[in-house]
Amino acid sequence: MLEIKNLSKKFGNKNSEGKIVLDNVSFTVKKGEIALLLGPSGVGKSTLLRILNNLESYDAGRLVLDSLNLEDYKLKYKHATGIIFQQFNLFDNMSVEKNITFALEKAAHIRPKEAREIAGKLLQKFGLETKAEFPVKRLSGGQKQRLAIARSIALKPLIICFDEPTSALDPYLKSFVAQTIQELANEEYIVLVATHDVSLIEKLRCIVYLMDQGKIIESSSSAEFLAHPDQYPLIKNFVKGISANENTEI
Amino acid sequence: MIDYNLLAQALPQLIIAAGKTLAIAFLSASIGFIGGTIIALLQMNANKLLNAFLMLYVTIIRGTPMLLQIMFMYIMLPQLGINISSFATAVLAIGLNSCAYISQVIRSGIKSVDKGQIEAAKCLGIKKFDLICHIILPQAFIVTIPVLLNELITLIKDSSLASLLGVIELFKRGEIIISYTHDAILIYLCIGLIYLILTSSLTLLVNSIETRINNYVGN
Repeated sequence: MLEIKNLSKKFGNKNSEGKIVLDNVSFTVKKGEIALLLGPSGVGKSTLLRILNNLESYDAGRLVLDSLNLEDYKLKYKHATGIIFQQFNLFDNMSVEKNITFALEKAAHIRPKEAREIAGKLLQKFGLETKAEFPVKRLSGGQKQRLAIARSIALKPLIICFDEPTSALDPYLKSFVAQTIQELANEEYIVLVATHDVSLIEKLRCIVYLMDQGKIIESSSSAEFLAHPDQYPLIKNFVKGISANENTEI
Repeated sequence: MIDYNLLAQALPQLIIAAGKTLAIAFLSASIGFIGGTIIALLQMNANKLLNAFLMLYVTIIRGTPMLLQIMFMYIMLPQLGINISSFATAVLAIGLNSCAYISQVIRSGIKSVDKGQIEAAKCLGIKKFDLICHIILPQAFIVTIPVLLNELITLIKDSSLASLLGVIELFKRGEIIISYTHDAILIYLCIGLIYLILTSSLTLLVNSIETRINNYVGN
């Protein structure tokens, strides 16, 4: 289980009035669960994922994974978290297969032959087996995303983070990605998704955390929200396209 | 009138001397490439003091004539107890000059590598050494190859400055031939033609590689 406890983060000088991007954020995600961090741009969703993946520091709070501090967990088990970036961030100078085997060989110290076997299975799982030798630049957006997912899960992390996974995709691919995310949760991964795509509420069995100005302002399971949307006015209004902030001022 | 006898005697000598010209250019370029890459990588992570020192080096080298740098090194090295041949001094001086220029070319190539890939590597737990060797430098080099080859073309021409130290490269050999034949026009024309053939061949190579790189980057 991942526990995020009172996480706070401010950009800029600690002593001056910087921009607060995360303000006392707390929630937990169990294995097999999906936490859908919903909200407009700049509310701290991506920053939270970046903190989990050591790309940003935080000012206060605790991150606990299976009763261990996340930092300690990473020192002990190394690959605790993985992230699929909005722009995929694949290694442009490598082939599709090499994108997976490189991380396995260099980060997990797996022998090249074994790494290729693992990559082969993952490429098959994600329908990319015929593209193994292609340069990544020749892949479509959807294929790139599948490769990014394959690369990330090759290292068997416990937590998988998706940063705006559907922003660059057409409706068909959105459904496919949602299905993949759900399957990963079914495989007992802890999944966090930062998005402003409200259609994912319907497509995923998840806990929705609506964020605004660095805070979680409302939460609900997707099933509960879909059954009783009126009980969750902020999420409902966000879904309607009204920002949660405007709603609180009305 | 063209003195064909002189031409037949001088051309083989000039062509052999052109080999030394190429040797100076390639060796200097190798020093420049290796040194320039190291400087560019150090500038990526250097502390402020080291960065200031490297920038000072680059500024001095780029802001003073290469001729001065060659002469300075020719005089300074023996003072420091380093006694090397004129050829080695010329290669070293031209190479160190090239370092400064190439470092800035490679630095811009490194900067052109998508920051997202570096973040992805960090998230995957890839060590910095592997990140630099397998992700950053290959991509930085590919975009800088045309500029690096242009630097080699410049070095072929600059290598003529080695003649001031008595290195018998293409230009110096030409001057020696002129000194006993007194047919400066013909010999200088021959020298110019050989330089032109060398640089034009490389220019064609640069253009071809540039097209391939554009296709690669476009794909």
